[in-house]
Order: sequence, then structure tokens, then C-alpha cells
Amino acid sequence: MKLKSILAPAFALAVSIAAFAGPATAQGGGPLVTGEWLEKNLNDPKLRIIEVSVEPGLYERGHIPGAQNVVWTTDLVDKLERDIAKPESFQALVKKLGINDDSTVVLYGDNNNWFAAWGAWVFDVYGVKNVKLLDGGRKKWEADKRPYDTKAASVQSGNVKISAANTKLRARLADVVEASKSKNAVIVDIRSPDEYSGKIFAPPGSQELSVRAGHVPGAINVAWGKAVAEDGTFKSKEDLKKLYAEAGIDGSKPIITYCRIGERSSHTWFLLTKILGYDVKNYDGSWTEYGNSVGLPVVNTAGTVWGVK
Amino acid sequence: MTQHDVIPEARLSSPGEQLKTPGIDPASLPFQWQRPHIAVAGAVLVALAVGAYVLHGQGHAAPALSLVFGAVFGVVLQRSRFCFFCMFREWYDDGDPRGLFGLLVALATGIVGYTLIFGAWLPDATTGRLPPDAFIGPVSVALIAAGLAFGAGMALSGSCVSAHLYRLGEGSPTAPFALLGTVGGFMLGFATWNDIYLSTISGAPVIWLPRWLGYAGALLAAIALLTLIAWALSRTSRPIDSPSTPARDLPEALLTKRWPAWIGGAIIGMLGTFAYFRVAPLGVTAEIGNRARQAASTLGVAPSRLEGLDTLRGCISVVGDVLLSRNGAFVLALVAASFAAALAAGQFTPAWPSRGQIVRGLIGGLMLGWGAMTGLGCTVGTLLSGIMAGALSGWVFAAVVFAGIAITLSVGRRAGLLPRPS
Repeated sequence: MKLKSILAPAFALAVSIAAFAGPATAQGGGPLVTGEWLEKNLNDPKLRIIEVSVEPGLYERGHIPGAQNVVWTTDLVDKLERDIAKPESFQALVKKLGINDDSTVVLYGDNNNWFAAWGAWVFDVYGVKNVKLLDGGRKKWEADKRPYDTKAASVQSGNVKISAANTKLRARLADVVEASKSKNAVIVDIRSPDEYSGKIFAPPGSQELSVRAGHVPGAINVAWGKAVAEDGTFKSKEDLKKLYAEAGIDGSKPIITYCRIGERSSHTWFLLTKILGYDVKNYDGSWTEYGNSVGLPVVNTAGTVWGVK
Repeated sequence: MTQHDVIPEARLSSPGEQLKTPGIDPASLPFQWQRPHIAVAGAVLVALAVGAYVLHGQGHAAPALSLVFGAVFGVVLQRSRFCFFCMFREWYDDGDPRGLFGLLVALATGIVGYTLIFGAWLPDATTGRLPPDAFIGPVSVALIAAGLAFGAGMALSGSCVSAHLYRLGEGSPTAPFALLGTVGGFMLGFATWNDIYLSTISGAPVIWLPRWLGYAGALLAAIALLTLIAWALSRTSRPIDSPSTPARDLPEALLTKRWPAWIGGAIIGMLGTFAYFRVAPLGVTAEIGNRARQAASTLGVAPSRLEGLDTLRGCISVVGDVLLSRNGAFVLALVAASFAAALAAGQFTPAWPSRGQIVRGLIGGLMLGWGAMTGLGCTVGTLLSGIMAGALSGWVFAAVVFAGIAITLSVGRRAGLLPRPS
């Protein structure tokens, strides 16, 4: 008994030291949670785990125990207009997901958490608090050989009330045009260098095209993938700070992120906002809106012309 | 031309004729004459197992499982001669319903298995959502035309796509041409797809029976329908005049004798369930479709954009550029394992094709390919996996495929183009 009473606090101390020594961005209290933390807290009744994956059937054939499935194409966007989910349908969704005022929501998914990050952005736009990402998503969870489950989770309806959409987190076309002209905000293009230069209109396999290739004048290209380590987790806060500072993005000015349809840029939006604490808007219209707009300036260093090569 | 030359595939599967080489004592066949064959067969299966083991060890669980599922499917198809055309023809010509009973058992087993999975994945069937990547397709005039063409292709070429694949492993002289024809038929299907899709498929209803009847209702309705079909079949069957001698021992029963169709059916029903649970529903045309689409776009014979195809359930032709897709692994393992099973049974008998076999294989294959493309799958995908998944499209396809066989056999025989049963 005595030994136990001595060892228990010592163990707790060791754990807390180890926790502080680890990557500063991946704790239960921060914007990210680690697989280790999540696995330990799976039975926490206040935890709501949500998978947002692109590949159909992935969630059903194995998901983190207790996780619920959200389909980004029907749950997180409006099915008719090009817009994020309307307040009524999003309110119904969070109610169905059992999210309460005191819930902690952990999102994760395939494809490096792209759509989970999109989800985190939509949750934030509607003012749902305590929304985190599982660092590394499915990829890291699997690499760590953590377990999956195939049962659909059932939860009691939640009581959280969403707020009006927060326009400070979302850039519209006019904001981007204004920022491009007046330089009152830094625009970050997170697509691949070939999309940025205009060599290609869209990544291979993407149907949604723009009629012009290139980027918004003044936009800085930092491909989203630079922010993640080999295992899919975010780099450390210091490395991220350095990465963006070297590109001229230090948080001194508001930031606008964009990509092709707004999902990869949510990934960068998440880290710049939640990990680095900068003031960032995600431009979900992205290149498929800007690159199709009539009469807006475009920088195309590759010289591609629509329909001719 | 003897009848054996004309349509050997169908004849070989008749119940009294379980071996391709008459005159050799079946019991001694695999163990004395065929020892080297057994060794080669074993080596093929071991190679598949090693392939799966290595893939799994490298973290590719789904392709590894696809190899295993494909191998099991190949062995079961070959050993129980699970060939949709032969099953139908045995009943149609000889009044022997045992093959079709095997199909009914496969469907019943699979429906139960799928229902168990659906209940866990989608506890409420009425939400408007469909279960992920199940073969639930639109029910349209195009589906009916596709089924009729597919049935006619089966009657002409002597089997469906899956049976041609396992017969490839038996050294069938027709199968290579039928499969070649199938690739051509897919290209034809791509060429006609956009018009057919826009005029008939895009507005057609996608009907998932559990959404309307609930899981219990859909399960009971399906089992009741299968029972009714079984009853009708047993009413029309004739006494079977060539009862096969029972196997002497287990190795002979497993390796040489044709497995009872209902055992094959039960295994396929379970395999379908497991495959859907872990990787994807059973289907043998996705990879053929992919390759055909690549070839078609290289040759410039198919439109570069196939309207709506990438959004359809049970979609068979999303272009994949990986060297070995999951379905590719499944199909390769199927052919290799059926080759091993045929070899061990003394049923690997490669033969030079006759001109008739080449022509019927190519033309029949063309119709199989067009039907599989337009119907978004074949007798394994749209019919078997579709019915298991509670898709109305599966039932409709099944009805018209068998109608297509009956019409083609009847008309073809009357016109003297297809052989009459002996």
C-alpha cells in the first residue's frame, strides 16, 4: 500500500512531464489530440468522435470506436447551392451527433484530414466550441496499430445551439479581390506549385475545372503538404511558425487561405488559426470561383490558355 | 461438327459428366496419374497465399484479402461448376434444378449476411442514405436491354463472365475469345453510354428494398420469393437419370467430384458477405471495365467523359491507374485458383479452339461486355451482389438475364444456329 501511494503520484508526475516534453501542439487541451490521448479517452461520455472521410465505405468497414460518420458532400455543404450547410440543417446535424455545450468534438478522416479540417472549419463558423482534430487522422491511427470498430454509434440528441455564421472566418470573392488590390491581408495559395503557376488547371482526376489557370495576384504559394510530417501529423508549432515566416506570413496581417474547392485550404486554415493563433479566413470559393470569374486579374506564369495548348 | 465441338462448355457441366477425360478411373486419377499436377496446383495456391501474406505484411490489407477472396471464389466456382448459364441450361434442357437451387442458396445466404452488416452500418434504413458501395443501381429500360443482351451473350458463348474466367483456368478454348469479346463489348458500351444514360438511366429510380420494407420486411420478402422460385423449380424438374456415384473418400469428394451446387452456393453467399464487409461486394467486371476504358481512350473509340458514371452506385468503371487494383487482384487470383482446382481434379484440358468456338466466343463476349457495361455489372455484381444487397435492380437483371438465355436458346436452336440438347 505504501509503495503504491508513493508510486502513483510519481507516475502521474512522470506522465505530465512526458506530456510537456512531447510536441506542444498535440494535447487534450489544444487544438489537436494524439491517438494515444484519444484511445485513453474513448469512454469519456463527453467526447464526440466524428469521421469525415472522402472514400465511401471506409467508415463503415472500420472506424475509431464510438465515432459517428459525417458525409461532407451531403452533411457539411448545401446540396443545391454552392455554400456550406445552411444553419437549419447544420443545427439538425449537430443535434443528431449528440453534441452538447460541454462536449469535446474530435474530428478525423482519410486523405490527411482534409475534409475533417473542412468540418472543423464549418463547426467553427457556426460557433461550436471545443472542436479538435485527431493529429494524423486515419493514417497515423492505423500506423500506430490502434483498433477500429464497425458498429454504428448511437447517441442521445445534443443540446448545443449554433450561432449565426461567423463571417470573420470565411472569405468571399470580394474579400479576396480587395485583399489582392489593397494588400490589407496576405493571401495564401496552398495548392501544388504546378497549379499555382498555371501549368495545370486542377490536380489529375479532378473534374471541377476553372476556365483560367494560375493564381490570385499577390498570393503566396505554400503547398499544404509542407506543414505535415511524413506520418501525416502536423509539424511542431516552432517549425510551422518558421515555415510560414520564411514565406512572409507571420500573423502581423490577416490571412486568407484558398485552394481549388476550399478543403485542402481548411487544413492550412486550421493550423494557422488554431496552432499558430493567426487571424485567418478560409476562402471556400477558392480557385473554382476566382478562376472562373469574368474580368478579374490572374497571374499565370506558365502561359496556359483555356482549350488550347 | 459433333455437338461436343459446338458447345462443350455447357455439356461438360451436365451432372452425369463430371470429368473431362472419360475412360480413366476417377478415383485413382488425382493421386496416381496426376501427382505432378497436384504439386503444380499446390504450388499455385501456395504462391497466392505467399502473395497475400507479403501484401498484408506491407500494410496492404485490402489487396491481400482480395487475393484470398478471389482464390476461394475461383476454387468454389470450379469445384461446384457455379456457372449461371449451365445451371439454367441443366434445368431448361434436362429438368435438373440442382444448379439453380445452388444459386438460390447463395442468394439466401448472402441476403442474410448483408442484412446483418447493413443493420450494423446503417441502423435506420429509411434515412435516404444508401449503404456504401453496394451494387444498387437504377432500374431502367437500359437495365432490361442490358440483361437481355447479357443473357443472349451467355447462351451464345456458353457462360457468363465469371464462368469464362474460371474456365480460362481449365484451359477452355472458348473462354479467351469470349473475354476478348467482352473487352470489345465494354468499348461498345462506352461508345453508347452517354446517349443511353441521358435518355433512360439518369432519371431512373434507384430502389433499395430495405428503404421501403425495412430490413426485416426486405429479408422476409426475399426469402419468400426465393422459396417460391424453389418450389416452382421443384415442380418442373424431371427425375435425374444419371445418378453420380458417391465419392469414396474425402480427398476424392473435395478434389475430383463436382461439389453439390448448394454447398458451392452457401460458400459463395458467405464469401459475398465477407467480401462486402471487408473490401467490396463480389464482382468480376470492374477491372475488365477499367482496362477496356484505358484501351478505348487510347484508341479514341469512347467518349473521354462518361456522363454520370462516376457517381453511380455499383459503378464498374472508375478509371484506376494502379498496376494491380483490388478487383484486378481478385480476378487474377480467381483464374489462378480455378486453374489449380482444375489441375488437381484432372479437368485442366487445354484445347485448340474450333472456328465455331472463336466466332461464338467473340460475338457472345461482345454481348456480355455491352450488357455488363450498360447494366453496371454482370451476373456476379449486378445480379448476385445486387440481390444480396436488397437492390431491385438485381432482381430485374436476374429476370431478364434468364429470359435472354431462354429466348436465345429457343430462337437459336430453331434457326439451327445453336445445338439442340442431346
